[in-house]
Amino acid sequence: MRDCWITGGAAFDLAPTAWKTIAGGASPDEQERRLLAIAAQALDVALRPAAPKTLKRRPPLPRLALPMLPERLRPLLRAALKHAVDARRKTRVVTLVASRGFVLHPMDWMPSDQNSPDVYAPWIDWQASFDGERHAPLEKLTAENWDEFYPAARRIALANMRRTESASARMLIEAKASGEPAEVRLALIELMRVDLNPEDAPFLKSLSADRSGKVRELAGRLLARLGEHGHLSEGGADDPAVELAAFISEGKSGFIRRRTTYTPAKLKSPAQEKRRAELFETCNLVDLAARFGTTEPEFIGAWQFGTDNNADILIARMVAASGSDAAVTQMADTLVADGGKPALFVLHLTPRLDSRRKRALVRLILKQANYLSAINLAEGIDAGWLEWDDLSNGSALAGLRSAVAGNDEAVRRGADDILESLGFLATATTAAKLIDEVVAAGMPPAAPSLSVLRLNAALAEHQSRTDP
Amino acid sequence: MEFDLKTIEALAPDQASLSAASKLTKRSSWPRLEKNEQQALIWGECQGSGSNPYRVVIDTGDHGYKCTCPSRKFPCKHTLALMWIAATAPASFAAAESIPEWVNDWLSRRRKTTPPPAQSTSGAAAKSIDEAARTDQSAAVEDVAAVERREAAQRKRAEDTRQAVSAALDELDQWIADQLRLGLSGFIDGSSDRCRRIAARLVDMKATALAGRIDEIPSRLMALRSEERPDAAIRELGKLVLLAKAWRSAPDDPELKRLVSTSETREQVLANPDARQVESFWEVLGEKIESRRDGLVSHSTWLLDLKSTTPQFAVLLDYFPASAGRRSNAFAPGDRFDARLVFYPSRKPLRALVAERMGEVISGAWPDFSFGAAKDPLATHASYQDAAPWIADCPLMLPPGAILVDDRGTGWWQAADDPQGIALPIAGAVNQTLLGLDLAATAALWDGARLDLLAAQSGFGRLDLS
Repeated sequence: MRDCWITGGAAFDLAPTAWKTIAGGASPDEQERRLLAIAAQALDVALRPAAPKTLKRRPPLPRLALPMLPERLRPLLRAALKHAVDARRKTRVVTLVASRGFVLHPMDWMPSDQNSPDVYAPWIDWQASFDGERHAPLEKLTAENWDEFYPAARRIALANMRRTESASARMLIEAKASGEPAEVRLALIELMRVDLNPEDAPFLKSLSADRSGKVRELAGRLLARLGEHGHLSEGGADDPAVELAAFISEGKSGFIRRRTTYTPAKLKSPAQEKRRAELFETCNLVDLAARFGTTEPEFIGAWQFGTDNNADILIARMVAASGSDAAVTQMADTLVADGGKPALFVLHLTPRLDSRRKRALVRLILKQANYLSAINLAEGIDAGWLEWDDLSNGSALAGLRSAVAGNDEAVRRGADDILESLGFLATATTAAKLIDEVVAAGMPPAAPSLSVLRLNAALAEHQSRTDP
Repeated sequence: MEFDLKTIEALAPDQASLSAASKLTKRSSWPRLEKNEQQALIWGECQGSGSNPYRVVIDTGDHGYKCTCPSRKFPCKHTLALMWIAATAPASFAAAESIPEWVNDWLSRRRKTTPPPAQSTSGAAAKSIDEAARTDQSAAVEDVAAVERREAAQRKRAEDTRQAVSAALDELDQWIADQLRLGLSGFIDGSSDRCRRIAARLVDMKATALAGRIDEIPSRLMALRSEERPDAAIRELGKLVLLAKAWRSAPDDPELKRLVSTSETREQVLANPDARQVESFWEVLGEKIESRRDGLVSHSTWLLDLKSTTPQFAVLLDYFPASAGRRSNAFAPGDRFDARLVFYPSRKPLRALVAERMGEVISGAWPDFSFGAAKDPLATHASYQDAAPWIADCPLMLPPGAILVDDRGTGWWQAADDPQGIALPIAGAVNQTLLGLDLAATAALWDGARLDLLAAQSGFGRLDLS
């Protein structure tokens, strides 16, 4: 009947007898219409869609270690997530919530990259597991059960192991990395950064023969951090460290105690500028310091910050990539203590700073207030620690107030960004006070740019209610 | 509260708006009036002429406002009425601890304008709040003869309409027979033009509702895979035959009249003693806002009766012109309220009006619907079709199950212990996260071919799927 109707024509003769009895005894058109009505009803009530054979069931979404954000706070959270324009800012909101002991509802947000708080690792693996046979076990990672772990769970297990039993983690990486593809290998070697210590040197040296250039480079930088010379070619004309050293002039300063200084040489052309940038990228700090016969911290201590901004940025990046821990802290402490614009170069070092130094940097930026927007650039900082005193000590608050009260649209947008960052950094009390402060200065109380601050303030309120 | 009557007068677009607003300042028109002083916001829900309430929010700081009504006057009468209440009876607003999501949603989307609206506008002199507040004293006194004349005219109009509709259905019958003779494959390919033409004829002949339904057939067919379309065409056209036959046998049946020509007014439904009334707690399952080909936007809000032990649904349905612009949702999914609903009389009452709102209800899980073991997930659908075979979309409460995917990436709902190999294909793309959740109960609409998910209960709480 259906085929007949599809191509066109009368289907009456093809109908079942029972249907014919009901539909018959009328004009041919009417008979067809009656059959159509019966068929429609039959399709609706008598048939059921059959499940295709290829239907696949995904494994259940795992429960996370923290409780779900209370229902009451979800509207505030959604407002904050909506206001956060990119993945990095969304992750910051998520990190803030995690720092107060909650995870998000999976329908509100799902982690999309590795930068999410560790507590979300089971969800990252769940997303990666759509073919879904393996299950992440809870037992300790060993060479035997290596393959039973999903990559994200494995990374987290290894990072934790590096913190507690750094040698066994290294041995595990040593045993397993060579069997993994270059990209995974690189991610595994990256984990060596956690608690990097001199005992790791032999393994890192062995990687100088690795198939992947990226792995060799990373191993070289890690070695450099340990004070080992990555480039063993000594002093040849084509040694990049020698070439880079030529861009730096060594001098003396001071009348009574003559001190050595290192100043970036004046450049004559954009081509030179480009070459210098390349060299800073490829050389390791330890090799450069060695060219001048000095140690890394001494070299950094003698560097004349503020002479050439570009050179300062390049050296900051170099220190971040390959400087020893001592060099990194030396640079951060010196610049933060001196203040001023050069202190902002410390931002390049944030991935390697401990949380105390990161906080010191943020406090300095807030105190100076000239470059408040630099606060948006700081990476990997803890959430929810900034006290009201940190904010009110310097001129940051006054700056924010005048930006909010002013008529300059660009300045106001800048203030919105800063408020969003502060929403992440502040304690709940600070967040609540800051909202009052900017509202008093003229910001509409319902402004979306306050959404992270509002969430922050509300989170504390909830915690204090539920705490025994 | 920073409103005075002068400001409202200045903001009003014209005297008519003020007069209309004055009628809405009664407390009973506003089931919900709330404020948040910290954020300088007031908001409320006004039961207007539509089925869905209108939601109004006003920023008392800069007099920014938003109302969900389709009016093209800015501010509309609802906004003015809310400002009016704020100015004259600020105590009517309950202090709200948290801000509803729809208010937050508006806040996050709005762009701030710096200066507050000017206090004096050129038209201000022409509008007077005193005049608007004066009650309308000129109630006309009609004489008996006039009433009779009017009623006679009404009867005549009704009879004319009935005849026109009857002729329209004859034409529809012929058209359906033509489609069968010419072949459904040709009908499917050319459904857009063919349906448009017959729909236009039906509008001329006063079968407006039916015309709207036929206009939607092409988009319903195109939403399916090509191999499914012939069956869907048989279903759509067959239902039209059934509806036409039913109307002919009972042209005064309110349900059939509503589906073929026009719907009764809100007042008629409220005044109808046969209309079923249910006072209960209701949860907003979800909303469907669809632009139709006839230039209307249909806005349906699906509700679940939380006091009933068997799943009972209601739908608040409004139409408004698409030219009125995108309208924000009247309710947020998950909202709960205590209300008396009046259902439009029909065999399986679904469409309803909110007659009275009593207040909010705290959120929680759905009632424990005892789903029988190995029950047919489409049993409700079949019973709806038996009683009223012209129903297109049927609400379902599905037993515990999960969403699965096939090799084309289409989502399917399947019961947890499905013995019969039944799975219901889901309309549209499925959120990947949903695939990992066990659904304890799922509310959805079934249109005979696809499942349109509304909401579900899961181990992660309520899921909004609409």
